[in-house]
Amino acid sequence: MQSANILLQPGVMPRLLQGLWVTIWLAAVSVALSVPVGLVTGWLMTLRNPVIRVIMRIYLDFIRIMPQLALLFIAFYGLARAWDWNLDATGACVFVFVLWGGAELGDLVRGALESIPAIQYESSYMLGLSNWQTFTHVILPQAVRRLLPASVNLATRIVKTTSLATLLGVVEVIKVGQQIIDAHRFDYPAGTLWVYGVIFAMYFVVCWPLSMAARYLEKRWANE
Amino acid sequence: MSEPMLTVDNLLKHYAGAERNVFDGISFDVPKGKVLVIIGPSGSGKSTLLRCVAGLEPIQGGTIALNGQVIDRGEPGNEKSGRAKRSSQLRTKIGMVFQSYDLFPNRTVLGNITMAPVMVQKRPKPDVEREAMELLKRVGLADRAQAKPHELSGGQRQRVAICRALIEHPELMLMDEVTAALDPEMVHEVLDVVLELADAGQTMLIVTHEMQFARAIADKIIMIDSGGIVETSDDPEAFFAHPTTQRAQEFLRTFEFSRHRRTEKDGAGAQTA
Amino acid sequence: MLDWAFVSRYAPFFVTGAEMTLFISVFGIALAILTGLVCAAIETARIPVLRQIVRVYIEVSRNTPLLVQLYFLYFGLPKLGFVWSAEMCAIIGLGFLGGSYMSEAMRAGLEAVPQIQRENAYMLGLSSRQTMLHVVIPQAISTSIPGVVANVIFLIKESSVVSAIALADVMYMAKDLIGMYYTTYEALFLLIVTYLIILLPISIIGTWLERRFDYAKR
Repeated sequence: MQSANILLQPGVMPRLLQGLWVTIWLAAVSVALSVPVGLVTGWLMTLRNPVIRVIMRIYLDFIRIMPQLALLFIAFYGLARAWDWNLDATGACVFVFVLWGGAELGDLVRGALESIPAIQYESSYMLGLSNWQTFTHVILPQAVRRLLPASVNLATRIVKTTSLATLLGVVEVIKVGQQIIDAHRFDYPAGTLWVYGVIFAMYFVVCWPLSMAARYLEKRWANE
Repeated sequence: MSEPMLTVDNLLKHYAGAERNVFDGISFDVPKGKVLVIIGPSGSGKSTLLRCVAGLEPIQGGTIALNGQVIDRGEPGNEKSGRAKRSSQLRTKIGMVFQSYDLFPNRTVLGNITMAPVMVQKRPKPDVEREAMELLKRVGLADRAQAKPHELSGGQRQRVAICRALIEHPELMLMDEVTAALDPEMVHEVLDVVLELADAGQTMLIVTHEMQFARAIADKIIMIDSGGIVETSDDPEAFFAHPTTQRAQEFLRTFEFSRHRRTEKDGAGAQTA
Repeated sequence: MLDWAFVSRYAPFFVTGAEMTLFISVFGIALAILTGLVCAAIETARIPVLRQIVRVYIEVSRNTPLLVQLYFLYFGLPKLGFVWSAEMCAIIGLGFLGGSYMSEAMRAGLEAVPQIQRENAYMLGLSSRQTMLHVVIPQAISTSIPGVVANVIFLIKESSVVSAIALADVMYMAKDLIGMYYTTYEALFLLIVTYLIILLPISIIGTWLERRFDYAKR
């Protein structure tokens, strides 16, 4: 089809790749920052203080029950105004992704820690290990095994969620694609199909290895 | 001498890719109305043997005959073929109770028992339900007829499993270590039911490692190890008191405990550093 | 703090938006469940060629965002001659994405039924068909309910994306109001409340269902 040539136009693929880079960068930063937030959240959830538990519960449930797009709107149009932040679209996105990713990760951490049977703590105690030794040598290795596959899965979900950044105006791969389509509206009318097709493939190329990695890890550690 | 209900002749079983055969041509028979108990160390293949008779595993050599009719013929090379293609009718003639006391979780106790006779044997539901209640009464669970399996203990579920197999009036009952997964205090209630079945004349092939029970119920006993029959006996009492072969002796000894207490005669001052 | 007069005057818009959200969600979820059933059946029965196609479908739909799928359907396919309404695209998009998630949940349910249940059915003389119908599938349904409900909630949330192809759902209403009247807080308030009203009950029902069907797993 003649319209496929839109992809060969000068600047098209490079710009798309640049957009993809923004997407990846956005996701990577969000994932990276989610980790400390998630660890702290997970740890806070295992504390026995009832007030903390209630606050954390409400925060987590809210973030996980609201659609991410709604959260983006709330952050960008609402919070930035209310707290007088100079938050641009990208900042709002990172902010929301980190909070949401952190909430999901925190739940995973809590689940992983709770799934370790009490007997592990008890045998360590009987053997004379200190709390710190127990945590680093007995609990942590087991927790990581239960945590990692689902965490890699979460990273995949974050990559997909960055697509919503387009709707806030962030110039990532989808927005770039739309600009290209617009610019070539007359000379390549069917370019829409091909550009979106490429973007589709790009997301797949980024996400699929992550999914496979998660599955591989899960299988490898399933029998432990 | 009663006609054999089950005849296993020269059974050969092999797992694909394994070095050695599970069985190298094993033969025995179960007389009608009698109980044959199979004992042996773990990994000796006793459960596999039962599963072959049940049709759950394919055999590569030999024959299995029920009531004089051959129901299974070994075929070399069929290791991966899965369950034997036996007709529904044939399968209702052999009943099996497994070690895991899984009932169908989505049905009541009564539903579990009545399902097969109605669906497979096409018997009228009211008759089946009546018989099911009688069976439940015999095992002491008549008041739990409407309960769901998850409300029952392991021992209770196992007794229901026995009823479920019995209601089809099987000619042969297979019992695969039916108490191995139960808490000790529930073992007796289940084995009492099995003993009662033996008294009523049910032909049974039982795999167990409860030696006291084996001693009480067996009319004939076989010990299996490493794919072959180590010892057969038509007099279980004699077998348990004085096993003939050395392997049987060693095996039975693993169920005994004795304590070696040090007396003064064993050497004074023998404190280790 | 909030302009309550504004809130009450524009609340009906959000009701309309909620209707659109629910309309798209219900049909999208129905399509997803149907697709999931077919795919799970194909994978469990191990039908040769179809099985691979299903696998490819699942991998592709799970590794691409719904937004791109929608844009492709709504803006891209018309160039090939397939012109569908925005509603149609939304439902197909949700069904396409949801189908793979549903399929995985159902397949997990089928595989979780212990082999011994089939063996018991065999020993009792049940045919393959009877075993499937009366023993395996009932248990599979019980086990897959939590996964299916989680997917339902997920799909309702994802439906917020259809606002991008100009469907007047809850999200679209909020965007519109913010754009038109600069009444950000009121619009966001209505947005949050509407979604909570839709999603909280379903979430609670889900937890209840999960607990009720947990007996299947000992």
